[in-house]
Amino acid sequence: MFLEIKDLSVKIENKNILNGLNLNINKGEVHAIMGPNGCGKSTLANVLAGKEDYEILNGKINFKDNDLFDLNIEERAQEGMFLAFQYPVEIPGVNITPFLHSAINSKRKRMNEEEIDNLSFAKLLKSKASDLGINIDMLKRSVNTGFSGGEKKRYEILQMSILNPDLAILDETDSGLDIDALKIVTEGVNKLKTKNNSFLIITHYQKLLDYIKPDHVHVMVNGSIVKSGGSEIAAEIEKDGFQKFQ
Amino acid sequence: MNIQDNYLKNKENIFFSQNKDIKNHREKLINIFKNDKFDRKNNESLKNINLKNFIDFNYKYLIPEETSVINNNQENIYSILSVNGQCSSFKDEKIEITKILKEDYNDFSKNNTIEKNDHFVNLNSLFLNSGFKIVIKKNNNIKIKISNIVTDDDLTIFQKNSIICEEGSSLSLVDEYENKNNSTSNIFNVIKLEKNSQLNHFLIQDNSSNHNLITTSHSTCKKDSTYIQKVYNFSEGYVRNFHYSELIEINSEADLQGIFFLKDNNTSNNKTFVKHLAEDCKSNQVYKGILNDRSKATYFSNTYVDQVAQKTEGYQLSKGVLLSDNASYFSKPELKIYADDVKCSHGSTIGPIDENAIFYLRSRGMSKIAATKILISSFINEELSSIDDDQMSQIIQKKLVRYLSKVK
Repeated sequence: MFLEIKDLSVKIENKNILNGLNLNINKGEVHAIMGPNGCGKSTLANVLAGKEDYEILNGKINFKDNDLFDLNIEERAQEGMFLAFQYPVEIPGVNITPFLHSAINSKRKRMNEEEIDNLSFAKLLKSKASDLGINIDMLKRSVNTGFSGGEKKRYEILQMSILNPDLAILDETDSGLDIDALKIVTEGVNKLKTKNNSFLIITHYQKLLDYIKPDHVHVMVNGSIVKSGGSEIAAEIEKDGFQKFQ
Repeated sequence: MNIQDNYLKNKENIFFSQNKDIKNHREKLINIFKNDKFDRKNNESLKNINLKNFIDFNYKYLIPEETSVINNNQENIYSILSVNGQCSSFKDEKIEITKILKEDYNDFSKNNTIEKNDHFVNLNSLFLNSGFKIVIKKNNNIKIKISNIVTDDDLTIFQKNSIICEEGSSLSLVDEYENKNNSTSNIFNVIKLEKNSQLNHFLIQDNSSNHNLITTSHSTCKKDSTYIQKVYNFSEGYVRNFHYSELIEINSEADLQGIFFLKDNNTSNNKTFVKHLAEDCKSNQVYKGILNDRSKATYFSNTYVDQVAQKTEGYQLSKGVLLSDNASYFSKPELKIYADDVKCSHGSTIGPIDENAIFYLRSRGMSKIAATKILISSFINEELSSIDDDQMSQIIQKKLVRYLSKVK
């Protein structure tokens, strides 16, 4: 099993958010989690990425034969986990290019791979940016600073394509995107998809799943998965909403 | 030893002690010390400081054996070695350097902008034992680097410098303070900018923990002149940076910037006071502090806009990053505006490093310490990237790396 979440319960500030959640993802699979506002989708994404604000009450997560709770935030990233943020943080003064260069090399170092030099990295970045329709000038700017909502999401996908993760978690990547941007972003995701990596896509709407075809769709309500199946569930939700699952 | 006894015992070594007017002025100052009840609540020169340590001191001064001025005419660069606050006289067609004169002292003592209850300024006048005057002659464009050296332990340097930029001149002045001995430097710079002149004044402060540095400066800008002050304080010892600025003629400008990097139990006190006294003048103040461990800082910023100073632009900004729960930064920006056609603003933000930004960077594989350091660097990136002198930029970067190496 690539990612195995067993009976996970999590709380924050005395409020239980995840309640006995179970989820298994195999290598090469695309999973989608759909659920109403406040059901715990983003909490799950943050807990997987290692955000320290949450208290783990119960459960286990295994990722690539590691106990995920033994790894800190950066070790999870270096092991191949990537979270595309719902609200990417603006960091003025931190230039995108050296930041991403440093990020890719920290991963390569952990994998005992040779670090990528400045020139090769610049070429890689330029080509990936071009694939995503990102203007080269944007690469001279500070991380997410002054970006529009769509630019921020596109930039998250650029980071994902550079870091080439084993498990990418996309937290409502479709929110704030117009239809053209949605196409570019989803094409970027589809290009990255191989039989060796997996995706966990968190979304409210079926629209995103028209462009990225999931192998499994899960419905999340009150912090646990209440139904799992194929794409037909997404269509069902689009038609009837989440009411009947609650 | 109390102030009066200290003065009487050492007055033979103090500049201008035979001059009647100066003697009278000093007697008044002694009375201020005798009568002042040291109003710690309202007196900004007393915040975060134990004045007693600076009043009860053993006066000790050594006249330096060697000082120097070296000029490189080809590049218009002059290097000055200021030893115990003194510097050799020098003259060429571009600059003139002399000892400080009693006229300069009188000129200063009549100034009303500097608060009469600034005890460090008063101590400077009372025990004045060194200083020099630099005149940049009309229409010249030069660079000066001053290395300020204190030769021995236990010295008390009370230094007053006068810097005059004549009409149309331009000066880039780098003042370096890197003292490693147990001593105190109390330095007052009186700066005058004549019409259409410019002074870019950089102060690099990097003293060891046993050296106290008290710097105060006062600039006066005439028509179309600009005074730019940039302070980089990496000192491990106490530093005070106070600047008083007067924009007295149309279209003059004061641009004041300070960055301080504190750790351990260190303290830094900062103050700016800008007076807009003519139309169409601009002032900009940006002060940023990074505070670790149990360090403390204050920043008092005042902008006064006189009723005649229409079309004024005056901005104040202070920001602080606290790297420890035990560090503290007190910031108080103030605007007093008596003209009605002005653009003025002030702002202040102080807080710990942004945890969400740390999480974001770590989620891309950066270690916590690397993320913290990159965010500290980014906090002052704008100010550091605006340094257009490569050599100085490298010096500051090197000191920043040293400071960051101690951040855990």
